[in-house]
Amino acid sequence: MSTNKPRTLSEWWFRTGRFAVSHAFLAVVALTMLLPFLWMVFASFKPLNEIQQFNLNPLPVNWQPSNYTDVLNNKDISFKRYYFNSVFVAAWVTLLTCFTSSLAAFAFARLRWPGRDHVFKLYLATMMIPGVVTMIPNYTLMVKMHLLDSYIGLIVPAAFSAFGTFLLRQFMLTIPPSLDEAATIDGASAWQVYWDVILPLARPGLIVLSIFTFMGNYGSFFWPLVLIKSEHLRTLPIGMLYFDTVYGRQTNLIMAASVMNILPLVILFILMQKYLVQGIQLGAVKG
Amino acid sequence: MKRRNRLVLGTALCFLLPNFLGFLVFTLFPVLFSLGAAFTNWNLMKTVSFQWVGIGNFAKLFSDHDFWLYFINTIYFMLGMPVAIAASLFLAILLSQRLRGMVAYRTLFYLPSFTSGVALLILWKALYNPNFGPINVIIESVLQWLHLGHIEPPTWLSSTKNLLALSAERVDIVASQFGLGARDAIIIMGIWTAAGGGNMLLYLAGISNIPPELYEAASIDGAGRWAQFRHVTWPQLAPTTFFIVIMSVIGGLQGGFEQARVMTLGGPAGTTTTLSYYIYTKAFEEFQIGYASAVAWVLFTIVFAITLVNWRFGSRYVNE
Amino acid sequence: MKYVFLGSFIVMTLLSVAAWMWRPGGRDDDRVEIVWVCDDNPVRREQIDLFNRLNPQYHLRLDPQNMGMEKTIVQCLAGVGPDIFDCYSGFQLTAFVRSGIAYDCTEAFQARGIDIFKVWPCLLPLVRYEERVYGHPGNGGGPALWFNKAIFDAAGEPYPKSDWTWREFLPIAKRLTKFDSRGRPIQFGLMMGTWDWIGVFLGQWNATIYTPEGTRCVLDSPEACAAAQFYQDLIHTHHVLPSPTEELAMATAGGWGSGTISLFGAGRGAMAVGGRWWLCMLRGKDYAHLRLGAVEIPAGPSRRLFGYGRASLINAKSPNRDGALAFLEYLHGPDWNNLINRQADALAPVMAYNYTDDFLHNPEHPEEDYNAVWRAALEDAVPFEVSPYVNGQFVDRVFLKQGDFLRERIKTGAEAMRDAARAINEAIVEQIRGDPELKDRYFQALAAGARPAWDRPEDAP
Repeated sequence: MSTNKPRTLSEWWFRTGRFAVSHAFLAVVALTMLLPFLWMVFASFKPLNEIQQFNLNPLPVNWQPSNYTDVLNNKDISFKRYYFNSVFVAAWVTLLTCFTSSLAAFAFARLRWPGRDHVFKLYLATMMIPGVVTMIPNYTLMVKMHLLDSYIGLIVPAAFSAFGTFLLRQFMLTIPPSLDEAATIDGASAWQVYWDVILPLARPGLIVLSIFTFMGNYGSFFWPLVLIKSEHLRTLPIGMLYFDTVYGRQTNLIMAASVMNILPLVILFILMQKYLVQGIQLGAVKG
Repeated sequence: MKRRNRLVLGTALCFLLPNFLGFLVFTLFPVLFSLGAAFTNWNLMKTVSFQWVGIGNFAKLFSDHDFWLYFINTIYFMLGMPVAIAASLFLAILLSQRLRGMVAYRTLFYLPSFTSGVALLILWKALYNPNFGPINVIIESVLQWLHLGHIEPPTWLSSTKNLLALSAERVDIVASQFGLGARDAIIIMGIWTAAGGGNMLLYLAGISNIPPELYEAASIDGAGRWAQFRHVTWPQLAPTTFFIVIMSVIGGLQGGFEQARVMTLGGPAGTTTTLSYYIYTKAFEEFQIGYASAVAWVLFTIVFAITLVNWRFGSRYVNE
Repeated sequence: MKYVFLGSFIVMTLLSVAAWMWRPGGRDDDRVEIVWVCDDNPVRREQIDLFNRLNPQYHLRLDPQNMGMEKTIVQCLAGVGPDIFDCYSGFQLTAFVRSGIAYDCTEAFQARGIDIFKVWPCLLPLVRYEERVYGHPGNGGGPALWFNKAIFDAAGEPYPKSDWTWREFLPIAKRLTKFDSRGRPIQFGLMMGTWDWIGVFLGQWNATIYTPEGTRCVLDSPEACAAAQFYQDLIHTHHVLPSPTEELAMATAGGWGSGTISLFGAGRGAMAVGGRWWLCMLRGKDYAHLRLGAVEIPAGPSRRLFGYGRASLINAKSPNRDGALAFLEYLHGPDWNNLINRQADALAPVMAYNYTDDFLHNPEHPEEDYNAVWRAALEDAVPFEVSPYVNGQFVDRVFLKQGDFLRERIKTGAEAMRDAARAINEAIVEQIRGDPELKDRYFQALAAGARPAWDRPEDAP
C-alpha cells in the first residue's frame, strides 16, 4: 500500500507499531484457526481409549502412529485407491471448470452480444436452486447417457459450473478495458485478446477458482454415493463410511483418515499460494 | 454494422459454447425438471398416485407450520454473514501489507475450510463441550474474573436457546429461550470457518488488482488511511464485494445442510433445521419430492429477489 | 499462464491413462456377481466371505451406504439398483413394496423350503406385508441392560438380578451416579441412546402408537404419557440418566447414537440400555479391560419391549434373481445364523439357532455368560408398530423432536406425547387427503369400527 520511506523517527515508530499490532492480531487469529486443527492431528495419533478419556490434554500419552497404517493398509477398503480417485476426479473437474468458465466469462465480460445480460442472469438463477432437488433428474440423465459408475460420470456434470463463470466474470471486469483496446488496435483477434492479455491478468481469479472447485469437489459425498457402484471408483468420503457405522465410531482412525484426507488440499493450497503472491506483485507493477 | 454484430455474436458463441452446452444439459435441464416437479404431487416411492396439483404445493407450503419455523432458522443463520464478510475483508487488508509470513498466515487462516464432515463434527463437539471445552473454559474464566461466577456458561449444542429468544415450537419469541444455544454455536462455527476462507482469498486477489497509482494519487491529495479505504479500496473492490454478497446470500439461504445432516440431525428439537435440510428430509425421508421441489423453488424466489435488489443497488458501483 | 494450462492438461491425460490401466481386470472366473447395498463394517466382510466360500458360483460384493435410503431409492428408481438391499423398519418395507422395488419372494421361498415363520415374530413386519414375503431378516435384537462389573465392584454393589423392577433399580442407580466437587458429572447409573426410550418405556408401559387398524395415533393415551414422564423423571428428578448437556459434557468424541457405546465403554456409565450388537465394538482391543455383564431391563408395568432388526430384500429388477435368492437362503441357514451368533451381530434371525448350546457358550469368548439375557429380550419383544396411513420416517422425526423436548425438560411427558399425537394425526389426515385409494381404505376401516384421526367432523378430509 504505502511505500514511501519513513521521513521521521515518529513515522518510523508509527509504522513499526502498526506492523507489530497487525502481527499480533494476525497471530492470535491464526492461533484460533490452528488449534482445533492441531487437536485433530494429535487425536489422530492417540489410541481410542485416550480419546474417550476425558482430558483435554491434546498430546497423546501413547503415540500410536499405527492408526495411519491401520487405515492405509486396511484389508477391507483400499484407502490408497480412494485417495487417488478423489484427487484425480477433483483435479479433472478443476481443470475443466477453469477452462470452460474462463472462456464463458470472457464472453460475458468482454464481448457485447444480444441477450448477454439475460443469459447471465439465467446462469445466476440456476445457482439458487438447492442441489437436492436437481439430483434425481441429473442421475436419470447419467443413466440414460450410460455414464453411471464411471469417472466421466463423476467429472463431467460437475465441470460446468455457473459459479466459475460468475467468479471469473467479476474478475475480468476489474481488468481495465484499455488493455484490450490497445491489443485490438494492434490487430489482435478476440482469441488473442483472451489468451494473451486477459487470461494472464485473471490469474488470481483462476487460482481462487481452482482452490474453491478442487475443495468443493474433493469433499462431495452424495453424488459419488449414488453414482458409484464399483469398489475401485469410490472416493474418500465414501470410503470413510467404513469407520463410522452404527456399530460405533473408531474415532482415532477417523482422525487419521481425515488428516490424510486433508493433506492434498493443504498441499494444493500452499502451492497455489505462490502464484497468488505473484499475481499480487504483478498487479502492483501494471503499467 | 450488421455484419460486425454477427461476427461478434459468432465469436461470442465460440467462447461460450463449451460451458453453455454443459450448462444446458447438466444444470438447466435438471432445474427446469424440478420446476415441473414442484407442480405435482410426485412421491418418490410412488406410494401415492401421480397427479398435477398446480399451485397446491405452494398453498400447502404457506400454511405449513414447519416451513415457517425452518425459514426463520435459515434467516437466523444468516445473521453471521455480515460479520464473516467484514472479518474476511479486514483480514485480507491486513494480509496485503508487506508483512513477513504472509504465506504461513494465509494457509493457517484457510485451514478451517479444509475440515469437513465427521472430523469437523467431532472437533466441534469437543470444542463446545459444556464443561471442559475450551470455549466454555474461557467463558467461565472471564465470568470469574468479572466476579459473575454464579452465571452458568451456555450449554451450546444441546440447548434450544438463542439470541433472539425464538421458541423451538412455534414462530414466537419466548423470554425463557434467551441465551446461547445450538443455533448460535453453528453461527460462530460458520464465522470461524468463513472468515479466513474463500472470501478472504477473493478479497486478497481483488486488492492485488488495485493499481497502486490510485493510492498514491489519494495520499498526494492528503487522504488518510480511512479515507483511502473509503474512496479507493472499497469502490475498487465493488465487483468482488458484489460477488461475495450474492454468493453468501445464496449460500446462506441454501446452507446449514451439512451441519444438520452430520452433526445435529436438525436438532435439538428442530432448531438447527434449515430449509435445505427440510427439503432433503421431505424428499428422501418422506418421499414427497413434488413438495420438496416447491419449497426449493420458493427458496429460489427469495434468493432471486434479494439478488435482483443487490444487482440494482450494486450496479451503481460496478462499471460494466 | 497458458503453459500452466497446457501442462496441466498433459499431466491429467497421463494420469487418466494410468487410472485406466489400474482398473481391476474383469473377473476371470465365471462367477455371477451379486451386489448388496448395506452398511460397511468389519463383521459385514466376514459374512460376505462366508457366503462366497459356500457358493462358489456366485460372487457377492458390498456396495456401502450410510443408514439412509437415498442410495437405494435413487438407484432403484433409475432402474440400476443393487440386487439386494437392506430394510430397517416395517415402514421402509411398505414403501419399497408399494413402489414396486421389492420382489415378492413368497413362491420362491416355498420352492426352496424357507419357512418365514421360523424367524423371531418381532422381525416379521420387516419382511412380510399383506401376507406376502419380500425378503429375509439378517439379524434381530431387543434391548437389555449392560452393566460394568468393575464399577459395581468398586462401589461394593451386588450385580443386578434378572427379575428386578424399576423401583428396585432406582436406589442402586442413584448410588452409582457420581459428580465431582464442582457438580460436574463423572459417572451415571444409567445410559440410554436417543431412541431407546421408545422401545423400552412405551413398550413396558403397554402404550401403543396407533389403534389396531392404524387409523389414529394414540400416543396421547395415559400409558404413553406416563411412560414419557418416567423417562423424563429418570433424567431430571432421579438424576440417574444424563441429560443431553451432561452427556455432551462427558463425551469427547463419538457422535449421536454410537455415543452411548463410547461413553459406556469409557466407563462413564454403570449400566446402559443396549443391544448384543454392542459387542462388535466392545470386543475390540481398545475395550479389552472391560468386564461386562448383562441383565434384563428392570420390569415396568410389563416386560414388553419393542424389538428391531435388519432385513435384506431383493430388487424386483435384479437380473441375478437366483443369486439373490441363494443369498436369502443363506440367511435362513445354519452357516449365517451361527456366524451372527458368534460375531454377536445382535442375534440370529431364525429362532431355533438361539436355543443351542453354541449360542449360550461361545468358546472364543467364555466371559460372555449372559447370552440367555439377550434371547430373553427377543422373547419379550413385539414388533414396532407401523400404520399404512402415515410415513414412518415422519413419525421418527416427531419422536426425535418430542424426545428432545422431554430430555431438555421443555415439556412434560403428557405435553410431549399429546403434541406428538397431534402432529401424527394431522399427517394422517394430510396423507389420506392426497391419496384417493388410501382414503377409500381408510373410510372402509372407519366403517368397520376404527377410530378416526380427527375429533371434530369438520377436520375430516
